[in-house]
Amino acid sequence: MIAFGILAIVALIGGIGVIVARQPVHSALFLIVNIVALAIFYIILSAEFLAAAQVIVYAGAIMVLFLFVVTLLTAGKDDEEAGEELSGQRITAGVLAILAGGGLAVVGVLYPSQRIQLGLPQNFGNLRGMGDVLWGPDFVYLAAVALMLLTAAVGIMVLNRPPRKKADPEARLKERES
Amino acid sequence: MIPLNWIVGLAAALFAIGAVGVLIRKNPLIMFMAAEMMWNAAALVFVAYARSFHAMSGQVMAFIIIGTAAAEVGIGLAIIVSVFHHRHRLDIDEVSQLRG
Repeated sequence: MIAFGILAIVALIGGIGVIVARQPVHSALFLIVNIVALAIFYIILSAEFLAAAQVIVYAGAIMVLFLFVVTLLTAGKDDEEAGEELSGQRITAGVLAILAGGGLAVVGVLYPSQRIQLGLPQNFGNLRGMGDVLWGPDFVYLAAVALMLLTAAVGIMVLNRPPRKKADPEARLKERES
Repeated sequence: MIPLNWIVGLAAALFAIGAVGVLIRKNPLIMFMAAEMMWNAAALVFVAYARSFHAMSGQVMAFIIIGTAAAEVGIGLAIIVSVFHHRHRLDIDEVSQLRG
């Protein structure tokens, strides 16, 4: 219980840090704290494969990508966030979201849960267990994730292709004028 | 053993923090990180219930969430970078002209 409290506080600090930090780099570092705390939760909940995947995919790949983009787009700038266009939107949104989240948390904590069954099945949550499930009955999900990642890679290449001259509407206008 | 309820409560709190972040920040990168946190909260609930019911299906769902997050971050950051190339400002209101 003490370990849960410490981990929960670390995860919440990481989460709050993400949304209050002024620089995006600090947000990214706080997000790493949050992600590592959740990975430790996964180990406690005997999901060893997912804990490793969480650290490798999130703290490794995704955060490196984020840091690349943050340094690419915000290097040497210290912009104030622009004012809001809808007046009072932030306060309303914040209050409503906190009420909804607090209500969910209270309901989640107070709801009578089933007792957690003791004694885990063999290979629960480790690499062998996940492999048996993903390459056996749940293969369709593995194939779906593979297709999704392939689609994302193709999509990124399409989004970042160099602009063609003819597709540029301004150039086409100039051609028409001349 | 940690009670299941407390983990669900923690996940709800993390989800709410992420929602607040998406709603009150205007930097698209930070909004994106807050959205990642919401994904993570959902995955935590799936893993907690998988442990509680001794069913690996919940962990398979968390695996899908991790894979989806990877794909989503790639596409989303590509969109943010291409919008930045057109507008040269990191502000989510820059894309409000996209509305019909």
